[in-house]
Amino acid sequence: MKSIKKFDYYILLETITPLIAVIIALLVGAIVIMLIGEDPVFVYKTLFGYAIGNRDGWGNVLFRATPLIFTGLTVAFAFRCGLFNIGGEGQMYIGTFLATWVGFTFTNLPALILIPLCILTAAAGGALWAAVPGILKAKMGVHEVIVTIMMNWIASSLTFFLVLKFKAQPTEAMAAAGVKQMIPHTKEIAEAARLPRLYNILHSLNIDFPAYNQVNVSFFIAIGVAILVYYILWKTNLGYEIRAVGYNPLAAEYGGISVAKNIVLAMMISGAIAGLVGTNEVMGFKYRWRQELFTGLGFNGIAVALLGKNHPLGVVLAAILFGILNYGGALVNIYTAGRIPRELIMVLQAVIVIFVVISDEVVKRLIRQRRKVV
Amino acid sequence: MKKNVLVVVALVIILSLCLSSTVFSAEPLKVGLVFDIGGKGDKSFNDSASRGLAWAAADFGIKRIELEPGVDADREVNLRNLAMIGYDVIIGVGFLFTDAISTVADEFPDTKFAIVDGFIPDKPNVMSLLFPEPHGSFLVGMIAGMKALEDGKDTVGFVGGMDISLINGFEAGYIAGVKYVYPECKILSAYAGDTPVAFADPVKGKELALSQYDNGAWVIYHASGLTGAGVFEAAKERKRYVIGVDSNQNYMGYIEETGESFGLTSMLKQVDVAVYLAIKAAVEGTFKGGIEVFGLDRTVTIGDTTYAGVGYAIDKYNEDLVSAEMIAKVEEAKAKIISGEIVVPTEVTK
Amino acid sequence: MFGDIFNAQFVASSIRVAIPLALAGLGGVYSERSGVVNIGLEGMILTGAFTAIAVTNFSGNPWVGVLAAILVGILLGLIHAVTCITFKANQIVSGVAINLFASGITIFLCWLLFGETQIMVKSSLPIWGIPLPNIGEGSVFVRNIIVMFAHHSPLVYLTIIIFILSHIILYKTPFGLRLRSVGEYPQAADTMGVNIVKMRYIAVMTSGALAGLAGSFLSLEQAHFFVKEMSGGRGFIALAAMIFGKWTPFGTAGAALLFGVGEALAMRLQGVLAIPVQFIHMVPYLLAIFVLVSAIGRATPPAADGIPYEKEIG
Repeated sequence: MKSIKKFDYYILLETITPLIAVIIALLVGAIVIMLIGEDPVFVYKTLFGYAIGNRDGWGNVLFRATPLIFTGLTVAFAFRCGLFNIGGEGQMYIGTFLATWVGFTFTNLPALILIPLCILTAAAGGALWAAVPGILKAKMGVHEVIVTIMMNWIASSLTFFLVLKFKAQPTEAMAAAGVKQMIPHTKEIAEAARLPRLYNILHSLNIDFPAYNQVNVSFFIAIGVAILVYYILWKTNLGYEIRAVGYNPLAAEYGGISVAKNIVLAMMISGAIAGLVGTNEVMGFKYRWRQELFTGLGFNGIAVALLGKNHPLGVVLAAILFGILNYGGALVNIYTAGRIPRELIMVLQAVIVIFVVISDEVVKRLIRQRRKVV
Repeated sequence: MKKNVLVVVALVIILSLCLSSTVFSAEPLKVGLVFDIGGKGDKSFNDSASRGLAWAAADFGIKRIELEPGVDADREVNLRNLAMIGYDVIIGVGFLFTDAISTVADEFPDTKFAIVDGFIPDKPNVMSLLFPEPHGSFLVGMIAGMKALEDGKDTVGFVGGMDISLINGFEAGYIAGVKYVYPECKILSAYAGDTPVAFADPVKGKELALSQYDNGAWVIYHASGLTGAGVFEAAKERKRYVIGVDSNQNYMGYIEETGESFGLTSMLKQVDVAVYLAIKAAVEGTFKGGIEVFGLDRTVTIGDTTYAGVGYAIDKYNEDLVSAEMIAKVEEAKAKIISGEIVVPTEVTK
Repeated sequence: MFGDIFNAQFVASSIRVAIPLALAGLGGVYSERSGVVNIGLEGMILTGAFTAIAVTNFSGNPWVGVLAAILVGILLGLIHAVTCITFKANQIVSGVAINLFASGITIFLCWLLFGETQIMVKSSLPIWGIPLPNIGEGSVFVRNIIVMFAHHSPLVYLTIIIFILSHIILYKTPFGLRLRSVGEYPQAADTMGVNIVKMRYIAVMTSGALAGLAGSFLSLEQAHFFVKEMSGGRGFIALAAMIFGKWTPFGTAGAALLFGVGEALAMRLQGVLAIPVQFIHMVPYLLAIFVLVSAIGRATPPAADGIPYEKEIG
């Protein structure tokens, strides 16, 4: 940032390289599509046309990007402290479940209290679950990768146990027909615990938007959290300490910064963000907890964080890109009558990630060399 | 401009479809099927649904599409988009489609929907296809019990995917069936996991089954989708018996080299028949919403084969394993279940 | 009850569960000992699993399938090496990209080649070892020993040999010394004339080979099936085993075995312990954390682990 004026040209170059890398990756994808005998123009037209060509598409994209922003920030934040938190999955499970529990238990609270309470519970649950690996790392030097992985599995078993415990009862119609409640989900959260859909807001503003679209206020929470993460990391003392520990723990310790304290805090903040996935999936979408709602979001967050270079803005953009590809991919699958599976999009995502990091590295090198010459 | 091009393209497609289908004067019915977790090739639940669609395609010349959803939100997106582009019948395989179909069915009242294992009783355009799995499980449980009794063994096993009501029903019926013929028999019971992966983890299935066989299980019944493929592997390795589920899986217990067969039987849950009938109703214009139960007594003839909604499989792979007396006993119990004399439990009492 | 759980089959089961974890974990050891973090193990296992089955079904020979899985593992290792050794890109990013790539490409190819997203293997490797005597014949002790250690897939024995060889290679040969020095003190190694890039390439590609082999064991030997995403997090557990084993072959094997014991135990506790099955499913993971906290403690990676080597620095 110091040398903005001097190296304007390079900053520009650094900004557009990821874009160029994405384009090259799409070209590679086009070749693959041609190799299997399909028309790449049609495929990309479908992908982008449906995903970002209209409001419904954008809504779907943002709905899918929202949890990825949370889990991406989870990974990014811990990374800034030198921690590899691959426990986003588990932290998300626990935080989200607790928020759901609050949502269907304290049903007589008004929305003004219940919504913040649910959000705080989600964050607190994630933070608590992440505190365990944080403390083990800080106090005993146990590697956070092992503990977070193990705790992912424990979290999924624990929440499944709790789902069965708080399982929704059969509806009246089911009882009348003598049918069991087959779906293993919890009771619904109270009306007052639900986040408004974007449709409700846009509709009141007389803006045309499909009523079924699932994008909800949680997207703005995610953006807010991204800004907050930026603020914490670069504008507060805590953030400075966390980054110092991440940059060089020995030097930080020497400079009077408590490494242990910052590791625990960084893990807890990171986990809290993961817990907030529940605001999108439960408070804004399903209104209940179900085991398979979230699977994989935590792990996708790793790719999003890294593609976004562990910067909040980068994470948001990467999450939206993944949202476009995920949603567009589902539609390509439909509109090619199943001939192009969604998995091709996953391959595309991987190629994009690889190209972006390689090009990034190449450009950095180029700039470094030029600087030396200058 | 763009729209015009689209219209032209659509017209060309429709025209070519009309020309290609000589049997029907109108354009063929378009049927979309969206799979459950596990997807096509699971040799079990999803494959059964896919088979029903294929039968319908052969008999009625329908146009079909099969999709596998990724994340949960894909279910709704898939259904809605199929409806939007004019699919006439859309089938969701598995109870996970309950919310999505309820929502989308209201948006597209002219489109016909069917859900397998889901309960949506009150929509005129949604047919819910339900199966009393405990009944079929009771019958195969009897076969397991009689086989163990005949061979002088004292233990049988059960491997489930996730510990959910649906699978508990399989387990409960099975246990009751075993106890009905062999009250002293010990039953080992295990579940593969706590996420949907538990229905697609043959590695886990095999190890679980091996542990049960090693602890004396003579027959294992699985209700675990693709995980069950591992149970079959374990059975062949230990040379013990296994009971398949949903589709007829008897052939999976056959060892070609030695000619031995360990697939004792399979609990048939005729999703294929149900899917076929739903499409047939749509083709013939008799489709109506509501609950359709495919039970032991619901017999359907397709081609020259007669199926029951749920039942047990006897074919060339297991005809030497299941004796005529066993079949006679099972048939007797079947009649008693149908008449209500035997009440099959749907919950495991622990 | 005790005998129902802790018997010879329990040991055999633990070994089988541990094999893929141990092999992939050993892959991690090679890679990280040379200074390259390999998060991509998960994807390499998955790709190996798919390749093994696909090639076996086309060639009819499971050994060819195993070989192909190893080769594909090496290929993915090469991609990882090019990205993070030659281009010096972030190693974790590259690994994550490989995982993403593997998830997509395996399902995509499976669907393209076989029209389904999961396939059954047509022939698999035979069990090698002493034929099991029938119960009642011969001594129970001998039978148990055979069940535990001499009645396995050939890949199990291969794994044991690989581990012994790896220990020798890493600790008793000049090559091993060089490899470790590249991961610990690359500057010093460089001045001593060790070709750092070459060493790291070899290590990362070895790591891919081992992960590919792990995958072939998973699909060919354990499942007899390829199922989408069938690696099921084993690559990450293998990483944990590597850290757990303090970046040594035998330590990694021990850690993998511990997970194996946990899994085998959990399977056998179902129906024996009268607690909800979800808590039994937690057993292997709780056991791992418990052992880690109580006995193992601090884990220190190789000093240059994860840091691309820059000649100019220093």
